[in-house]
Amino acid sequence: MQVTLTPKKAFKVPVEAEAIKPDNFAGKGKSEIESIALWHGNKEVKLGSLFDVKVEGVDKEGAKIVIEGDASRIKRIGEGMTSGEITINGNVDMHCGAMMSGGKVIVKGDADAWAGREMRGGELVVEGNAGNYLGAGYWGVEKGMRGGVIRVKGDAGDYVGGHMGGGEIIVKGSAGLLPGLNMSGGKIIIEGDVTLPGGEMKNGMIVIKGKVLEMLPSFRFEGTEIIDSLKLKKFTGDLTRGGSGTLYVNIIPEE
Amino acid sequence: MTITDVLCPFCGALCDDVVVEVENNKIVEVKEACEMGVSKMMGHERITTPMIRESGELKETTYEDAVDKTAEILVNSIRPLIYGWSSTTCEAHKKGIELAEEMGAVIDNTASVCHGPSILAIQNVGLPSCTLGQIKNRADLIIYWGSNQAEAHPRHMSRYTSFPRGFFSEEGRKGKKVVVVDVRKTTTVEVADEFIQVAPGEDYPVLSALRAILAGEEDIVPSCVGGVSKERLIELVEKMKDARFGVIFFGLGLTHTRGRHNNVVNAISLVRELNAHTKFVIMPMRGHYNVTGFNQVCTWETGFPFAVDFSRGQPWYNPGETSAVDILNRKECDSALIVASDPAAHFPRKSVEHLAKIPLIQIDPYPNPTMELADVVIPSAIAGVEVEGTAYRMDKVPIRLRKVIEPNHLSDEEILGRILDKVRERRGE
Amino acid sequence: MELLIKNGVVYDPLNEICGEKMDICVKDDKIVSKVKSPKVIDADGKLVMPGGVDIHAHIAGGKINAGRLLRPEDGRKGTEPRGKLTRACTGYSVPNTYATGYRYAKMGYTFVMEPATPPLLARHTHEELIDTPILDNAILALLDNNWMTMEYVKSGETKKLAAYVAWMIKAVKAYGVKIVNPGGDEAWGWGKNVNIDDSVPNFDVTPRDIIGSLAEANEMLNLPHSIHIHCNDLGHPGNYETTLKSFDVIKGRSNKNRQVMHATHVQFHSYGGSSWKDFESKVDEIAKYVNVKKHVTIDMGQVMLGDTTTMTADGPLEYGLHTITGRKWTNLDVELETGGGITPFLYSSKVAVNTIQWAIGLELALLIKDPWKIVLTTDHPNGAPFITYPIVISLLMSRQKREEVMANVHKAINKRAILPSIERELDWNDIAIMTRAAPARILGLDRYGKGHLGVGADADVAIYDVSPEEKEAKKIQSALLRAKYTIKGGEIVVKDGEIVAVPEGRTYWVNPEFDGKPTKDMLGDLTGKFEKYYSVNLANYPVQDAYLPHPIEIKTKV
Repeated sequence: MQVTLTPKKAFKVPVEAEAIKPDNFAGKGKSEIESIALWHGNKEVKLGSLFDVKVEGVDKEGAKIVIEGDASRIKRIGEGMTSGEITINGNVDMHCGAMMSGGKVIVKGDADAWAGREMRGGELVVEGNAGNYLGAGYWGVEKGMRGGVIRVKGDAGDYVGGHMGGGEIIVKGSAGLLPGLNMSGGKIIIEGDVTLPGGEMKNGMIVIKGKVLEMLPSFRFEGTEIIDSLKLKKFTGDLTRGGSGTLYVNIIPEE
Repeated sequence: MTITDVLCPFCGALCDDVVVEVENNKIVEVKEACEMGVSKMMGHERITTPMIRESGELKETTYEDAVDKTAEILVNSIRPLIYGWSSTTCEAHKKGIELAEEMGAVIDNTASVCHGPSILAIQNVGLPSCTLGQIKNRADLIIYWGSNQAEAHPRHMSRYTSFPRGFFSEEGRKGKKVVVVDVRKTTTVEVADEFIQVAPGEDYPVLSALRAILAGEEDIVPSCVGGVSKERLIELVEKMKDARFGVIFFGLGLTHTRGRHNNVVNAISLVRELNAHTKFVIMPMRGHYNVTGFNQVCTWETGFPFAVDFSRGQPWYNPGETSAVDILNRKECDSALIVASDPAAHFPRKSVEHLAKIPLIQIDPYPNPTMELADVVIPSAIAGVEVEGTAYRMDKVPIRLRKVIEPNHLSDEEILGRILDKVRERRGE
Repeated sequence: MELLIKNGVVYDPLNEICGEKMDICVKDDKIVSKVKSPKVIDADGKLVMPGGVDIHAHIAGGKINAGRLLRPEDGRKGTEPRGKLTRACTGYSVPNTYATGYRYAKMGYTFVMEPATPPLLARHTHEELIDTPILDNAILALLDNNWMTMEYVKSGETKKLAAYVAWMIKAVKAYGVKIVNPGGDEAWGWGKNVNIDDSVPNFDVTPRDIIGSLAEANEMLNLPHSIHIHCNDLGHPGNYETTLKSFDVIKGRSNKNRQVMHATHVQFHSYGGSSWKDFESKVDEIAKYVNVKKHVTIDMGQVMLGDTTTMTADGPLEYGLHTITGRKWTNLDVELETGGGITPFLYSSKVAVNTIQWAIGLELALLIKDPWKIVLTTDHPNGAPFITYPIVISLLMSRQKREEVMANVHKAINKRAILPSIERELDWNDIAIMTRAAPARILGLDRYGKGHLGVGADADVAIYDVSPEEKEAKKIQSALLRAKYTIKGGEIVVKDGEIVAVPEGRTYWVNPEFDGKPTKDMLGDLTGKFEKYYSVNLANYPVQDAYLPHPIEIKTKV
């Protein structure tokens, strides 16, 4: 079954829409889906009042949700989803795919901050750029993302994979400041450039296939290794606190 | 009439030894306070009467009409923002939080644009700290990092840190080392023993280098980090380890430069690790006299210290999303109530532009740039001069503000209480 | 307003009523013998008890608030939106003040003692108590690591010490004297710690001296509660010896109304072994002592397996915990007075030590024969959040429930704990004593209408929808977690497990009379301390009346 949601207008006040996930749509008809509760500012509203809903096919192998139009002020789409698929044909607001444990979310445009926050499993694909805190933890948590895969075709913002404990994040473009902060497991691959990777890293692996614009002074150079047919410099750290994370870098800044 | 032991409602040092002379319900002299404190308490131009903007002009009105207009604006909003709070009492904070909860609003305070990053850092690693008297009596190494308190908190050094003689520091200034770490030679440097200049935005790597040296990994540290030589860094680490009781005070130079809360995480972590060697503490140099108080009240009432979004009934806390600047930058809110602060003067241009576009209410004793944008202006009595109530010093010590003269205006607490009543009335509750 | 609670099965141990079917009458805020035209509550077949009294829970003030601030990830657990009557709730181990009031009330509790307030920060504690709905409350003031105290202990001027204790309790509107790792926080001011017979750096007194002198001052002032002590050496293998030494410091003393020492969260102080590897329960030794002595009472400090937030005025202890776990750590030393720390902790069923800790709390409650000597606590939130009390009670009442848990925890429990061999199951009378009557008597609040249902008592009543014969742990738990009714000061505040009224709580404070020369001399010394060493002025120190909107003043005389 495929459910297509088209926003009736461009929202200024964001819509909070963790209810938009296949788990919640499975086995429901159009009118049932239209009566699902969402939040628009401080008002609880029915999905049908904000979106045109089209339902095709019957529910056999889980629901697929397609969002047409502008979702750049719709937060939490796919938050906590366990199965099924969501495609967003445009940009999406914060917390897309946060805490998801299964299924797949594809964002055709850009994703705002906290996409894939505290992810447990499943797959999140951002075909445009991702904002800050991609795959990061919530404030105060010791482990953020623990499983699943996040793929970004464009660039990502600052603090990619903060407090990551497992899973994998792959950014085809560049990322900003301090990726892999406090990382204790999992793997981050960034094909472009970054700044100060691996701060407070305890364990896990970061691979920078482009350039590190600035290196932390608390990583130990261990030699070179071949990763994905690239000859990369290997570092361990963050040694501020005896970390044993691994950081592979293609190009480091000249001293 | 002479009133002693008066609290100064200016900065986070919250001096409580001010002497005020009052004649005919007017303050004629303020003693012991710093220049900024004197100026605040002596008073300056006030908003005299409530005003409502009509066809572009602020027109004088009554409290009743201004409160009613405020309630009307709030009730008709679906994402109101309530912001400010750092220069008023905790009693006003409580009313503000209740109003936010009732309205399903977002409530935030000025920490969001000063030490909010410090709070985020504490949530990551904690805060080994103490009260200021502990430092006065014990500290022999005092480090000011990214904080020019000689200008921002003029009596901090004389009352609490470098100068006073304490129980274990009878020699006063002579027995204490004062180090300033900053990107430029601030006025504080003039009264320090040592100045370490860090290149702008390089605090994070400098702190990482210090921690690596402390952890015994000095061999991996490059010869120069963030503009500071390795020798200098090693020397500083030794100095810190040799202290009997050390303290780092940090300011916006750490919280609002590249890395933001992560700089603070790194500084706190350094202090935490120094405790394996000696006694060391760290403290943010909170700016406004009761910015700490709002964070305290908001924490016990809502579970979270600032940037609390009540739109869905239960609080959601996510600075970067629910903080005032971000909400304004993203043009999310459709009205704003500002209490005891001046965002138009301090927020980024993009935020102020949105503030100008939405219905805006200002509650404040003084005319300021925010008032120029406001649709409703409600004058209030000055907390700590005309109103008593609770304030929390930068080290979270609560002290009761004194009232030294009778007010001609309602207090923030009273105004907010009236707004709350009106909101309930309009909603038929 | 009159209420008639009809046909309930009443447990009121202070009045020696043990499971009798009877009626309880309420007029206004008191229990009375007769009512004329009451609202009738049918309590047929239901348990009726006095409102619960918590003797030791960190519910308000600087520490718990620093804990809330430290843990937004705990704050987001258990959030509930604002209701018609209720404010929004957040938090599990560090609930906001509203959640604290509502959750206790739902469990039938009506009084809670905040047990560790630094005097300098007392205003903060009172501010939070104002925002904690429903519960009557009081605070204990930390007076043991205090410079004035230690100087008087050293000089042997016990009368001046008593004058100081009296002044402080009145100044900060406290109920009694709290001791936490005596001398340890002063040493922690330099990053060090002390044990009971070590000399406190720069003050030349031992913790033993501090305990003895404060107990003497406490009794001299005739305070309603005894000294309330968190012993030195908390949480360390082999510390049971320090605990017994601490109990023994004042073994010759007595008081006709109550104990002369209440030792708190003794679970954390009943450890044997010489390291974490041979860590074991020494509850047998502790129980042996408590069973034969009259001067000391204790509370459990039960640990429940799971995540919580530890917080205590014991600064060095919290740092030690942080170095073990590597988790975030907040420290808050308070000038001239005390210290404190906070760090999150996971008590894991897979860890031998944690499992044994869980067993030790239960062992204390089961091996100490007289329930009047042991109060049920979790040292909220240190051993577990207070919301776990119903589970603790079900464990004490059901051996089967204990065995179910023991089957799924670290096997060390079989060798290094005593619990597997204990058959005792507590009954409702024991539970009523441990959760109401005993804490009220130990605090001296029984004389002020708390902890019982006799005529003249406060109309604080809990009614639980569970048969006295019920054995199934789950049913016991759900009945205790959501009272059928909670009545506070004669008002129904909980019905069917939901909040139906939100009166404001009252704060009990003691005004000890101790005039004359010692007070005058002491004030001279105190003025000097403020002029030279405190960072606030003396005139701004005492807690103003504005912070106790509903005070209950208890006057005491020498």
